[in-house]
Amino acid sequence: MSVVEAVSMQAVVVENLTGEAYRGAMRRWLQGNLPASFRSDSAAFASPTLQQSIAWESAMYRAGLTGITWPQAYGGHGRSLREHLIANQEIGALAMPESVNSIGKELAGPIILAVGTEEQKQRFLPAILDMRNIWCQGFSEPEAGSDLAGLRTRATRDGDAWRITGQKIWTSGAYRAQRCLVLARTGPLEDRHRGLAMFAVPLDAKGVRVRTIKSIDGRESFCEVFFDEVEVAQTDAIGAPDEGWAAAIRVLEIERATNRMYRAWRFENELRHLISACKADAALSQMVDDHHYAVRLGEVAVEIEVLKAHVETAVEALVNGDKIGARGSLAKLYWSESHQRFAALALELLQQAMLPQLAAIKVARRRFEAIYLQARAETIYAGTTEIQLGIIADRILQLSRGK
Amino acid sequence: MIVAGEGLQPAEFAATATRAVVACAGQEMRAQARNLAGDGLLGIIADEEVGGLALPLGFAVPVIAAAHSGLLGFPLLETLFAGRLLQQSLPHLATAIVSGETLVSIAWQGEAVAEREGEAVVLSGWVARAPCADKVDYLLARIGEGAAALVRIDAEGVVVEDAAGLDLTVPEHAVRLQRVRIPIDSILPANTWDMLSSDANVLRAAAILGSAEACLSLAQEHASTRRQFGHALSYNQAIRHALARQKLGLESIRHAITRSLSEGSGSVQRDAAFLAAATYGSSISEGALQIHGGMGFTWDIPVHRHLRRIRTLQAQGDASGLISAFGRRYVSEIAPFTEAGA
Repeated sequence: MSVVEAVSMQAVVVENLTGEAYRGAMRRWLQGNLPASFRSDSAAFASPTLQQSIAWESAMYRAGLTGITWPQAYGGHGRSLREHLIANQEIGALAMPESVNSIGKELAGPIILAVGTEEQKQRFLPAILDMRNIWCQGFSEPEAGSDLAGLRTRATRDGDAWRITGQKIWTSGAYRAQRCLVLARTGPLEDRHRGLAMFAVPLDAKGVRVRTIKSIDGRESFCEVFFDEVEVAQTDAIGAPDEGWAAAIRVLEIERATNRMYRAWRFENELRHLISACKADAALSQMVDDHHYAVRLGEVAVEIEVLKAHVETAVEALVNGDKIGARGSLAKLYWSESHQRFAALALELLQQAMLPQLAAIKVARRRFEAIYLQARAETIYAGTTEIQLGIIADRILQLSRGK
Repeated sequence: MIVAGEGLQPAEFAATATRAVVACAGQEMRAQARNLAGDGLLGIIADEEVGGLALPLGFAVPVIAAAHSGLLGFPLLETLFAGRLLQQSLPHLATAIVSGETLVSIAWQGEAVAEREGEAVVLSGWVARAPCADKVDYLLARIGEGAAALVRIDAEGVVVEDAAGLDLTVPEHAVRLQRVRIPIDSILPANTWDMLSSDANVLRAAAILGSAEACLSLAQEHASTRRQFGHALSYNQAIRHALARQKLGLESIRHAITRSLSEGSGSVQRDAAFLAAATYGSSISEGALQIHGGMGFTWDIPVHRHLRRIRTLQAQGDASGLISAFGRRYVSEIAPFTEAGA
């Protein structure tokens, strides 16, 4: 089935479905509609174009697979976080590309839902879900990476509007985005986290310049974004001017704990793909049955089970009305480090394949070499490993820093 | 004392268990058994017909965790399972176990050879890793086909070896069985052992959770009060990050146990909970010892007692063999790659 045919699929009727029936409907739709060219465990895989990704994600939305918990008034499907988890388990079970609008769906959207005005919710949220608006996140700066409270991008009042001047960096997907969630300073630098405000900046505004940065995997997906006296309407300010830091923390907590909720199930898909590829190769099929690699693959499988446990526990806590808070750092630290270990093991195994290489090995190498490189960023973005450890020490263990 | 009733929550058992563990301190084993039974803790998962509470396994988790956190010197995990295992075939004995009158242990390592001789079964061979086997009345041992045999410890031909191994609190023994005759009704059916092992892995994970939690608490306390270079140890990032990693390991054990008991979970999740506990429990207790510095290497600081128990539980559940089997099972269930199957 071509991408065009796939995205013309109609929404599945899930209104009255719950639990396993809901899961079954989601699974059938995904398996029936995901094009082979989107599947990185297929020889037919070809990295989708932006237009193909937009079409696919729009179709996913219409099928009920995104915007699951958002209110129906803003285009969402109005279902529970447990159903969001079910859908994500099914998404993770297939080797499909990452969303090109995960910042919109999993960061900007939730924060607008939390602190945005009614007008902003009506204007921004449906456009995120149907992929008319792709978002990026403008937090990090050249002088404010891990130390986010040191950011220098300035927002000043100009009549009824704001003027934003500064520079953001490591802004994933800015080149393809329509909006950037910008954290900017309204007070002096010495105020640190006080006096920070958040804005939904249109990237086609005068004074915005985007420059891509080539990353270690050869791609140019993350960017520098320059703001030169960019005029931003008051209606694009998200939350009160002095609530920016609190909103940023909320965004980061969400990002660490719940975004890409499918991760554990995607890692399982990766592990199954790795093993199936190894079993197609005469030498590797013996290796994966040897004690050494059986133990190491077993360790990966256990870590995936533990990661599932972290995710499911967080979902149940949220369903029961708890806040995620600093606990998101535990899950983020766990998945990022365990995925790096797994990616290194995959690389190590596949490098020992027989010659000439089978098609199965070529497919797996293409996927896992990319994963290995991309996984190096996973202990850096959304707060480095060191930042997560600091948060756990400060806010969960509440260790004394006193002299 | 805990009494069965509607709305009972697992967490309520933790407080009772903590109090009972304190009450057991310094007492000999039979007195401990009576104390624990008096609080309703020996029959949590056993049927009401034998005096138990007939609660799901999850209710035993906080009890075992509290017992290990408090270094209870009693084979509680073994007693809980023995009461449940024997409730159908030997209800009088199960009742005596749940009431604390009869003491029992389980040999977690080895398998005895069982031969039928008339109306009796004759057991021979070695079994080991039996906590407190020198102080109990009965021992449960594995025999062929995953069945189990119950042996009176004072039966002719049973030789309990001196305690060996790391654990000081619940010392392990090896037991030699020299043509020990037992009645046929002391044999539990095939596959008993697999079910026992799977459930035991959850409670072993709970035991390690209790010990690891105690270790982290001790390390945190020490890091906050011990001063070097003019600061509390916790002032230093290296110490803060080490403790943060211990916390991650601890919560990983806790979540894995919760998942192993959730609806739809099976042996994979139970094994994973134990394997996670064995890995993170060891690193938490060893890390806690390291943070204590030289004090950690002294007899008086209890971190080493927890470390000894965790390493012993790791061996009782055969973590090394299990992780290999876990990996092999995973590999065996996946077909070789074909494009059609992708």
